Amino acid sequence: MFRVRYALQVLLAAASLVAAMALVKSRGVPGGVQAGALARAAFARLGYEPLGEPTATFEGDQELAWALEHARPGPAGVKLARGQGGAVRWRVMFPGGGEAQVTVDGVIWSLRRPVPSDPGPALFPSMARSRVEAAVAEAIPDPSAWGLVRAQSWREGGHIWQRGWYVGGAGELPSGWRRELELEMVGSTVVSWRRTVHPLGTDLGVVTGRMAELQLLRRPALLGLGILVIGVFVAAAESVAYRESTAISRGAAYGLVTAVAGSFASETLVAAPIQGVVAAVVIALLPVWTELPLTRLRFGPAAGVALAAVTLAGRAYTLGAGGWTPVTPPVPGDIGPIRLLADSWAPALVEEPLLRGALPALAAPIVGWWGAALLAAPVGALLHPLPTVPLAASFALELVLQVGLAVVARFAGVGGAVLARGTCETLVRRASFPVGSDWDQMALIGVIFGAVLLLWPRRRE
Amino acid sequence: MRLLVGGGATVALAAVALLMSVEPRFPPAWRSPIHAAEQAERDLPALGLLWGKVRGWTRVGTGWTVLWQPSHGMWLVSAWVPDGPGEIKWRIDAAPWLPGVRLSRAAAEVLTAASGGVEQARERLGRRDWQVGESRLLGALPAGGELPSARSLRRPVILAVLVGLLLAGAVSRHLVPGVPSRGWRYSVFSVVLLLVATLPELPALAPMGFQPGVRPWVAELAFGTAAVLLLGALVYASQRFPATSGSPPVAWLPLALAVGTLAGRFEPAIWLVNVAGLTLRLPVLVGLAVLAGWLAGLAGNGLRELLRFSALARVVGLSLLGVAGVGFGGTWTGVTLAVVSAAAVERGWGTWMGMGVVWGWFFGSLWVVARWEAALWSVLVFVLLGCAVVAVAHLARADRSATSESPALP
Repeated sequence: MFRVRYALQVLLAAASLVAAMALVKSRGVPGGVQAGALARAAFARLGYEPLGEPTATFEGDQELAWALEHARPGPAGVKLARGQGGAVRWRVMFPGGGEAQVTVDGVIWSLRRPVPSDPGPALFPSMARSRVEAAVAEAIPDPSAWGLVRAQSWREGGHIWQRGWYVGGAGELPSGWRRELELEMVGSTVVSWRRTVHPLGTDLGVVTGRMAELQLLRRPALLGLGILVIGVFVAAAESVAYRESTAISRGAAYGLVTAVAGSFASETLVAAPIQGVVAAVVIALLPVWTELPLTRLRFGPAAGVALAAVTLAGRAYTLGAGGWTPVTPPVPGDIGPIRLLADSWAPALVEEPLLRGALPALAAPIVGWWGAALLAAPVGALLHPLPTVPLAASFALELVLQVGLAVVARFAGVGGAVLARGTCETLVRRASFPVGSDWDQMALIGVIFGAVLLLWPRRRE
Repeated sequence: MRLLVGGGATVALAAVALLMSVEPRFPPAWRSPIHAAEQAERDLPALGLLWGKVRGWTRVGTGWTVLWQPSHGMWLVSAWVPDGPGEIKWRIDAAPWLPGVRLSRAAAEVLTAASGGVEQARERLGRRDWQVGESRLLGALPAGGELPSARSLRRPVILAVLVGLLLAGAVSRHLVPGVPSRGWRYSVFSVVLLLVATLPELPALAPMGFQPGVRPWVAELAFGTAAVLLLGALVYASQRFPATSGSPPVAWLPLALAVGTLAGRFEPAIWLVNVAGLTLRLPVLVGLAVLAGWLAGLAGNGLRELLRFSALARVVGLSLLGVAGVGFGGTWTGVTLAVVSAAAVERGWGTWMGMGVVWGWFFGSLWVVARWEAALWSVLVFVLLGCAVVAVAHLARADRSATSESPALP
């Protein structure tokens, strides 16, 4: 019996590793490496050779990307967001001067070179026009669709500067959208251009409206967590008064890890130290709440892989069923591998002990464990949903995840739920970060840890 | 006989509390917010856009600020309507992304006060500009003027002390348990059900939840979810930290009611006037009063246990908190006095006393600030209902005592 169980664990470890690698494989934002070369070539066309190796940072206009996806459903919208829509792009900076924005699909979105010491002879506006139009033709795919709407010239630093604004209609973008280009020239040298996109209000509004609605609906969930925290502190006061056995050192260590993770994360529910204190108190109280299921850490990461697969499949199903959900993942504030780790694990470390530990422990005497766990699910579902059309689909997807985590907590305890949530989050969030082995390794940390726990030889029971 | 004495004393004290001349701290509302909304809809220009339904209101100074939002949620129309004659101030807030954030000719004319002088419009992304003579009116919203805003009524120190006392009360009810009162448990549960039943009306009390670009049903859902969570937590607390059983202190309740009424008249809870604007004002008032009274009893329990170590500390502590509540409590005076009253009497009476003061405070506040007829009748029914419930509880208790004292059958 023991051998059979161990063999099943080995199989589970292998399956979760394979599934996690399949989820991570070829996911992530491409184009970071090519962006430097493309920018260098564009500078060369302007007669400027940038020096040194460029640094590339990922940036994006979240609402614009999602508005494009909503306006042009399916792969066409994603392609626009990564290309001619200019919603997700790399900013490339050369150490010797020169900066460019290159979209993920390789479109030069903006360019600025240093002002040359000898920019060439100053041109009258009428003479400069042909040169500007030649530069415009290089910047955009369909120059004939663009027209000059305004021009400006002025004298500064002994040179004449020219600036022109071009408007290009919708082009490949959805109907009602507008493209603009601003180009600057000093003397007879083009020094910069910058493209912008003006979305149709209703397309943008559906997305920003949904985001604002979700932000509003998040408030009751935060209120729920606040009430829960009050209950936790009252329970802590009681346990001190009754001199109950608590896990203070374990709680302190956990709180420290939570606070550190929160300090690296881009977004936290409250300040990272406060999160750390709350998590520390909950973990310290776990031995007091004897009716909670026993922790079996080894099953958490495998469950997390399954939940990640369900989450991603749910999004695909929403799109397939005629609804809308973002395909372009949320743009992170920073793309360091540590940010992926912190963004994924900080919510798991804080929310799981509260929703799968404290709430069931406090409410189980009245509504039972499952009642309390199902009460936690809607609270958790309101915390981090993505905008969808219809809005209910967003909550349905989150609710599936939360109910899944409740099931995990029932069979693997609070610790198992923390590992499952952290693993699930890293695998789902992996797509927001650049392609590369560093980020893949970070995304797989939880699964590898789970596999080690599953394979670790145990005493015969 | 005691009931008669108590009832007589209530009437006498209530008369004193009501007849005493008090300088009003807040201008009273002479009509309901619904009437104010009707006046605004009648007197203001349509502004070229759909106003939608009335979503909420707030009492500000000598008028009502009323909010309208259409079901698509793309804009908000708010208007401050004074009680008497005076200019109605209005404002439109629209979602920033809206291509329809375009001023109509009528709105442009109102804004520039130039009837017929508004010429050609120029369409731009997200706005419409109007040429008015030599100048141009930029069509970006918010349009309209600034509305008067209510002054902040926060008292952070008093609030922090009250929250601390609530926590102390919760812990003390667990550590020093008494005989739990089933009646209070049922009461809290019943009024929570009552409030849940009135939930569709309650978002009107939180107009700040409605935002341009957010559909009103979502704002109402957010409010409802928060309310359900809060009410659920209160039901949980009433089960977990139950009030101690005790007979109604009929002799003391008139005093509590009179103190509350006076506190309400001196420092009215101005937010209650918004509640008085609801159609279902009576059940909401009853529900809020029971919950507030139960919470005052809980906090009073905490205060009582904190000051238990010496008689002198008890006298000094209660006096200090009472004086601080009256002197610096502002609109929290009634709550502070309710907590002090609950802590001053014996344990089984605490919740009754807290409830008595809160009931009087609600009554006194509404009597001062909600002066239109329907609200005044509701307030009168509210206070009579409270007296009736106390009388029934007392009689039931007396009946039970008489039954239990009857000689056992051989």
